[in-house]
Amino acid sequence: MAVRWSCVEAGCDWSVTAAGADTIVPLVQAHIAESHSSFELEDMIEAVLEDVPDEGEDGPRD
Amino acid sequence: MASTLDIESKFHFSREMLAGPIYRKYEKAIRKVWSVEELDFTQDALDWQRVTPEQQKGLLGVTIRFLAGEQAVTDELVPMLAAAHTLRRFDWTMYLSTFLMEEAKHAEFFMRWHEQVVGILDPDEVAPHFLVRGKTIDPTGRFEVRDVIHEALPDYGGRLLQASVGGTEAEIERAFVQFSAAYNAFVEGVLTMPSYEIVIDTTARWDAFPTLNQGFKLILMDEGRHITFGTEACRILIEKDPSYEEAVHEVFDAYRGNVVGLVEYQKAVPGLDLGKYQMMKVRHYRNRCREMRITPDEVLIEQILDPTIDFVVGVEAG
Repeated sequence: MAVRWSCVEAGCDWSVTAAGADTIVPLVQAHIAESHSSFELEDMIEAVLEDVPDEGEDGPRD
Repeated sequence: MASTLDIESKFHFSREMLAGPIYRKYEKAIRKVWSVEELDFTQDALDWQRVTPEQQKGLLGVTIRFLAGEQAVTDELVPMLAAAHTLRRFDWTMYLSTFLMEEAKHAEFFMRWHEQVVGILDPDEVAPHFLVRGKTIDPTGRFEVRDVIHEALPDYGGRLLQASVGGTEAEIERAFVQFSAAYNAFVEGVLTMPSYEIVIDTTARWDAFPTLNQGFKLILMDEGRHITFGTEACRILIEKDPSYEEAVHEVFDAYRGNVVGLVEYQKAVPGLDLGKYQMMKVRHYRNRCREMRITPDEVLIEQILDPTIDFVVGVEAG
């Protein structure tokens, strides 16, 4: 399984999928910094990750 | 002679507990321990002499709130420990031991920063800088701004403590959800997040107070665990009894006025883009709901984003 995180900032529909928590956290933090001039904490990111089928099962994703 | 079950009840660790999310937070907290003694306040003290009196007043308006707030949250955590004990959730008790130590350390950080940078420590020295709440009003009269830290936390904490010593399991669980909703989700998880960002943005804009910036980032690492412990505990209890979801919404509704607008100390630093902090509150509120697996109050979100809701702040120190 892979993991997905979706941004819930007002007006933002950005989401990202990665192999695991270790790889997705810096991607999310970069999005929040660049797009919203803000920060998101590691524990908060990990707390809302959704399990999704990995690339081999489901094909490529964003 | 004691039965096997009586003897087993003296032991709490299990493989299931060690693999669970709360015990993993305990392990992470132990790995991430930091010390105020390791921080050097020398440059911050020099910067304090360099900035203008207006900048000093604005920054102090926020940091004094944190100095009071961190002492309050240290002092008000005991009901959660009592409830974890009564509910026989040993992993919660273990994690909360780190939580309490960290809140005490955050209070120590602000005490040392004010002592070594500003030169104030005793209550009669810091109290005059506390921005009073009575002059923050909603001109439409729809919302009341209350002192959630010094009012809601003792109130919900008292109810939880009372339930923990004489209540049923369901009464303790409902009281736990309300206390955690107020403490972890509302105060730590939504209301205070803009204040952290205000201080971090301010130190960056002024190119000053590197240790205040460093301390806030260290504190935030701890807070991320605190907040998600509370919302995870709520999720566990709401999954057990879905009627507890309403208890969360009751707390947010009772203190709605505090979250729809920015309050006096959040407006104290001149020159910041305040609209950004309203937007981020929505993100944090939605995320706390997502963590608890509850439905967000869309009216509350509309109110946070409504530009016509803007509190009048008659800021006077205390």
